[in-house]
Amino acid sequence: MTIDAARSRLARVLIQRAALGTALVVTLGACGFVNSGDDSTEDGGSGGSLTAYVNTEQNTGLAPLIEAYEEETGATVDVSSATTDELNQQLRVQLTSGTAADLIRVSPGNSSPVAVGVLGREGELTDLSDAAWTDELGDDTRALAEVDGEVLAFPVSRNAIVMAYNRQVFEDAGVEVPTTWQEFVDACAALDASGVTPIAAPFQGGIFFQFWVYALAGTLVYAENPDIDAQLAAGETTFAENAEWGEVFARIAELRDAGYLSDGMLGIPADQGMQSVATGDAAMVLMVSAGLPQLHGYSEGGADAFGVFALPANDDPEATMVPVAPDFLAVNAAADPEAALGFLDFLAEPENVATYANEMGVLPGLATDVTLDSDVLAPIEPLLADGRSVAYANYLWPNGDVQQTMLQSGQEWLDGALDTTGLLGQLDAEYAKGQS
Amino acid sequence: MTLTASPPSTDGGPEVARRRSRRASVPYLLLVPALLFYAFVVLWPTLQGAGYAFTDWAGRRETPGFVGLDNFTELFSAPAARSALRNTLVIAVSTTIVQTLVGLALALALHSALASRNLLRTMFFAPALLPPVIIGFLWQYILTPAGPLNDALGAVGLGGLAQNWLGDSSVALASVIGVIIWQNAGLTMVIYLAGLEGVPPELHEAATMDGAGRWQRLRHVTLPLLLPATTIALSLTLIGSLKLFDQVYVMTGGGPGYATETLSVVMYKEAFVSGRYGYSTAIALVLTMIVFAFALLQLRGLRRFEVQQ
Repeated sequence: MTIDAARSRLARVLIQRAALGTALVVTLGACGFVNSGDDSTEDGGSGGSLTAYVNTEQNTGLAPLIEAYEEETGATVDVSSATTDELNQQLRVQLTSGTAADLIRVSPGNSSPVAVGVLGREGELTDLSDAAWTDELGDDTRALAEVDGEVLAFPVSRNAIVMAYNRQVFEDAGVEVPTTWQEFVDACAALDASGVTPIAAPFQGGIFFQFWVYALAGTLVYAENPDIDAQLAAGETTFAENAEWGEVFARIAELRDAGYLSDGMLGIPADQGMQSVATGDAAMVLMVSAGLPQLHGYSEGGADAFGVFALPANDDPEATMVPVAPDFLAVNAAADPEAALGFLDFLAEPENVATYANEMGVLPGLATDVTLDSDVLAPIEPLLADGRSVAYANYLWPNGDVQQTMLQSGQEWLDGALDTTGLLGQLDAEYAKGQS
Repeated sequence: MTLTASPPSTDGGPEVARRRSRRASVPYLLLVPALLFYAFVVLWPTLQGAGYAFTDWAGRRETPGFVGLDNFTELFSAPAARSALRNTLVIAVSTTIVQTLVGLALALALHSALASRNLLRTMFFAPALLPPVIIGFLWQYILTPAGPLNDALGAVGLGGLAQNWLGDSSVALASVIGVIIWQNAGLTMVIYLAGLEGVPPELHEAATMDGAGRWQRLRHVTLPLLLPATTIALSLTLIGSLKLFDQVYVMTGGGPGYATETLSVVMYKEAFVSGRYGYSTAIALVLTMIVFAFALLQLRGLRRFEVQQ
């Protein structure tokens, strides 16, 4: 063999071995057999480590508390965040693949594939029933945090559905805050006569439409019949058979047919609806309290330019209920619970409950006696103190598909392409499918 | 000149054959890492995903139950899914036809000695460079009832044409199609411009000398020679519009009601909103088959037409 031939052979052997070696590394690396050393980033500190996957609102509210917790305990809290929609999409996959964080944001009831009810029944969440703070759960929050008698979620805050109105527009039209349905309709008529759109209805996508359904159902359906969810689940009634549910949509239709909702409502996105209230083109908008800072930001007058009230649904001012939604954290059952439980105990301390609520301008998650810095929600606090709160209607439906049908078919109903009987029939069909 | 027979080759023999064989195998060995990676990242998940289409997998840990063809039966019987299938086909066919014609017209207009042609080419192509999500948010704003489009129509005395572009179920699908064409017509234009560069000017000169007018030269010289570009443009447009998702999801979310819902949007909602991964995979499988069938039919038809021309 000549020297050139030997070099040539050596080169071929090297290429072959390099190729095989690369293939092996790629394959094994992809299978997870090769340690990349990335784990070294999880420095637990002297007090242990905790990972959390929360939504962006929780991330903002928790930031000062995490800093305080880390200082106090020497522990490390590694937080990832995403919008609620993105989080809901990713968390299911993370739980299935075993990569979910220790502390996770979960939806209330059965409202999504990553809701307390759904994950709890699958054994994905740790039982928190022994924690001292469970004594401070409000009734409507407890109903959504419990699965088979076990508390599986911690409420970091609560949001309420409120009617936000432009004070100047109300004053110019000589309108007082309504306390009954008839007063509300009369106020709309007066506002309409003054040349403004009485109600901003940014119903593109249906999100703001559902607030109307939940707000009216809270007073018309749940206050009248607190057992309605159990009756629906047992097949003792249906949406179509239940007169109160029919009344909910009759109320919305009354406003739509009178022309009190925005023109072209199905093409208006949420931000434009809120801006129309801020500019005075529209008088009020039904929204969640967590969105109030965004509304206030659209006006030079800030929070002072707006007021809120609970949407009345009948002619008894004392019967109006406020729909309230807890924002939950839960502990992944696959995680070491000690650090997560310790962190939740820390969040449940009254001063920390207050810190979170004031940071975010939301209602405290626990029924703790907390003084809020902001008086934005003061008009509805007496109702909440009287126990006149109710969970969103969709939370105890069997799954998120019933709500999705309401959002999409509800748009067809608003457009006049579907009548109320047809809409309620579709909800019943989806509800039955969810139970099967 | 003397011709002599060549001596028998001395570089033959088993050793040489082995060396040639080894040398020939080197490229294949170099391909192995990429093939393994492709198989692991693409082929295996694809086949596994196809399997889930026949299960009721809800993204949980336990083994999903086999449901046979139930997911496919539901897909073709549920009114919402049928509506999405119809919308998908309407978008695909109308977008493919109109976008190709608009792209061709732009290319013919700008394949000229026009002084501003490069600027115009850039302007028409620019939307194709923007992310679809950005396009979606931009047009969602433009098309709102109080948005710039209706304002502009009012300003030029055409207020009667103002519409609730995305909120009226009778015009929402057409609005979405218009946006898709607006974004991608520039890409089709570029494909045709490349095709036009390949048309020999001598053919036009010869045709002109034979007395052919502008329309006859276009009909009998330019368009036949643009058939390969047409094949590419039609294929890309059809495949892209069949799997359309981003712009629809951002602009309308499939609404109002179900008016603009496409198969891709339903697939997304079923998987990530409802957690029905098995059913969603069945939709993905059907969509893949539709794309494959359309692309194959179109390519074969156009290739045959090219050969005939």
